[in-house]
Amino acid sequence: MLDILKRTFLIGERELRAFLSRPIFLICMIVAPLFFMILFTSMMNSGLPTKLPAAVVDEDNTHVTRGIVRILGSMQETEIVAHYNDFTSARKAMQRGEIYAIFRIPRGTTHAALTSRQPKISFYTNDSYYVAASLLMKDMRKLSELSGMAITRETLSAKGVNERAIMPILQPIVIESHPLGNPYLNYSVVLTNLLVPGIFMLVILITTSYVMGIEWKRGRQKELLDMAGGNALVAVWGKLLPQTMLYTLLMWFAQAIFYMYLDFPCECGIERMMLWGFMAVIASQGLGLFFFEVFVGEMRFAMSACSLWGVLSFSLAGFSFPVSAMQLPLQWLANLFPLHHYFLLYEAQALNGYPAMYEWKSILALLGFSLLPLLFLPRLKDGFLNKEYVP
Amino acid sequence: MTWFINIFKVWYNELKEISRDEGIMVFILLVPLAYPLLYAFIYTTETQHNLPVCVVDQCQSSLTREFIRKVDATPEVKIAGHALNMAEAQEMLRMREVSGIIQIPHSFDRDLAHGKQVVVGVFSDLTSMLYYKVMLLGVTNVAQDMNRDIKVQNYLHPGTRREEEVARMPIDFEHVQLYNTQGGFSAFLIPPVLMLILQQTLFLGIGMSMGRTRENNRGLVIPPQSGYKHVVSVVLGKSMLYFFLYLVMAVYMNVVISHFFGLPQLMHWNVFFGFMVPYLLACIFLGFCFSAFIFRREDCILLFVFMSVPLLFLTGVSWPGSAIPKIWQWIAVIFPSTFGCNAYIRAGSMGATLGDINHEVMAMWYQAGIYFLLACLIYIWEIRRAVGRTILK
Repeated sequence: MLDILKRTFLIGERELRAFLSRPIFLICMIVAPLFFMILFTSMMNSGLPTKLPAAVVDEDNTHVTRGIVRILGSMQETEIVAHYNDFTSARKAMQRGEIYAIFRIPRGTTHAALTSRQPKISFYTNDSYYVAASLLMKDMRKLSELSGMAITRETLSAKGVNERAIMPILQPIVIESHPLGNPYLNYSVVLTNLLVPGIFMLVILITTSYVMGIEWKRGRQKELLDMAGGNALVAVWGKLLPQTMLYTLLMWFAQAIFYMYLDFPCECGIERMMLWGFMAVIASQGLGLFFFEVFVGEMRFAMSACSLWGVLSFSLAGFSFPVSAMQLPLQWLANLFPLHHYFLLYEAQALNGYPAMYEWKSILALLGFSLLPLLFLPRLKDGFLNKEYVP
Repeated sequence: MTWFINIFKVWYNELKEISRDEGIMVFILLVPLAYPLLYAFIYTTETQHNLPVCVVDQCQSSLTREFIRKVDATPEVKIAGHALNMAEAQEMLRMREVSGIIQIPHSFDRDLAHGKQVVVGVFSDLTSMLYYKVMLLGVTNVAQDMNRDIKVQNYLHPGTRREEEVARMPIDFEHVQLYNTQGGFSAFLIPPVLMLILQQTLFLGIGMSMGRTRENNRGLVIPPQSGYKHVVSVVLGKSMLYFFLYLVMAVYMNVVISHFFGLPQLMHWNVFFGFMVPYLLACIFLGFCFSAFIFRREDCILLFVFMSVPLLFLTGVSWPGSAIPKIWQWIAVIFPSTFGCNAYIRAGSMGATLGDINHEVMAMWYQAGIYFLLACLIYIWEIRRAVGRTILK
């Protein structure tokens, strides 16, 4: 036992010396993750994008329509950056990328509305820019609905209905929305919270297979195995332990920034999230090592597999496009990505504060990823002894 | 004439080197061919349909049942369960059986009859922002529809069918989703992803081949072959290889992927080549500049792969460009993808002409020019180094 500890320590020391001698390790393992953390947190600092550029085509141009346009300009998501006289020039501005939406009031709208001839106003959103379009759509739809109500309101008050009774007539059923766990609909809470750990996990996947492969590349794999006393597990353990510590610290640092400095919701307490963060780190290391074992000696394929898998995990984790909306085979496939499970745990625990046992499957999955390489240890040992580096 | 032959020699030598290296082939052939198919497959369902939600109907009247039936009939929402109280509904939410709760208060009928507003609660799971959007849209549509009925039947008393229509909606409105008529994810995300795949695999391929040359030539990027004496022929010969290969890839993405997955296609070929040529050139020359920092072939995987996700955000496609802080907008200017993705979306999905995307095209030409000069400087230095070591006679 003592022997194993000593060997682990010696290998770890050798590994640390390797880190310090190569700037690329520093750049990839510390500088880049921190840089991307700053990038995402500052990019989404506003939470929900507001004041998105839109244009108005007011062909009617009466005091009524000008009133409507003024209300639109005062709404949260909309910034009216241009007024156009005809729709074609507005559409061209959209094609040039200057605006995300057009609100159009055709000629004669006011007259038709006042004489009960049901005019039609339209709004066009550029859904190639999905988030901006969705946000602007919300405002414009609400405004269109309100404009109609304003007419009914006039009719009702002309009939002598008093002010207080009008609202229940206009809108008898009110929908009150409760976005659970994230009442301000802060995109940053959903995205930053997962993109940053996601980037960390991608870096872990790639660097794990890199630091393993570099032994073969330098032809020092046998030396490493000797240091480990011929035990492949000790060799891997000693080699990856410094990284485990480094990445866990990085993960905890990011989580401390999220939950203590930026005050993102964390219903389960930060200690719990730190535990899941740690599990996500070792799960990614496990998966990276697994890929390395599959392609043992062939570092380039192991690293390619890790990168392709890691990049894919941003889509299949399901925090932008939900997994439940994907095709069935992809819903199964999503389970093979550690980020997906970290995401489920984060959502259930930090966002909603549900007890951890509801997510037992994800906890088991993360554990499974961490232990997966154990199954292939004999193959790795064989690789240590018999495989050479293939460029 | 010799410089022309030199370009050809460099081109042929690079082709030979790359085709021997399976690691590079994975990134410049397999990934651009196969990855887009996978991505398009992920988003092929476009949006969430029939989101399972649970209803807590505390009123249980014929009117609330009508409300629930109508919600169930929307394409957005599916009633997956009924619960007696909120506690039971929350348990279903925790078990992930449903993704939202609709709560109808027990005073629903009474309040409506008394002319009071009733509040229906919509609790949505924020596992995805899309759940929230879809659920709110479905329920709001139903509520507005019923509101109009109640308003007309109880208070306005229209005489004719037409009067009833007008009274329901004194001002009609329509929402037109331009360029992505289904309002789905695939038409929105796939075009920028395609462009990013081109850029990132170019970086990876160029970086790996640079690392390979360095490893085989004791740290030198100029192999001891003839034809590598003049900087312009080296840079042009190398870039020709990637340029024509990637032009084929770009055409493949634009034709096969777009056609396969029904993405909007409004682009003329002259527009396509008008921006694709500067885009590829800018990517290739920037790839040369970056690869000056690659000393081992595997290093470039470390450096380039995880840039993909932040770069997607910096394009301003998924996160609105107007909401990105200025400093990041400036950093984004470095990368061709920032302009390339926007140009491709505008031209491909929105039918913009070359004049409409002039700003992006010019920016990419500037990038191509600047990175070409930088790449030349790097290679001048490298050639001198190689000559200094007298490998190159």
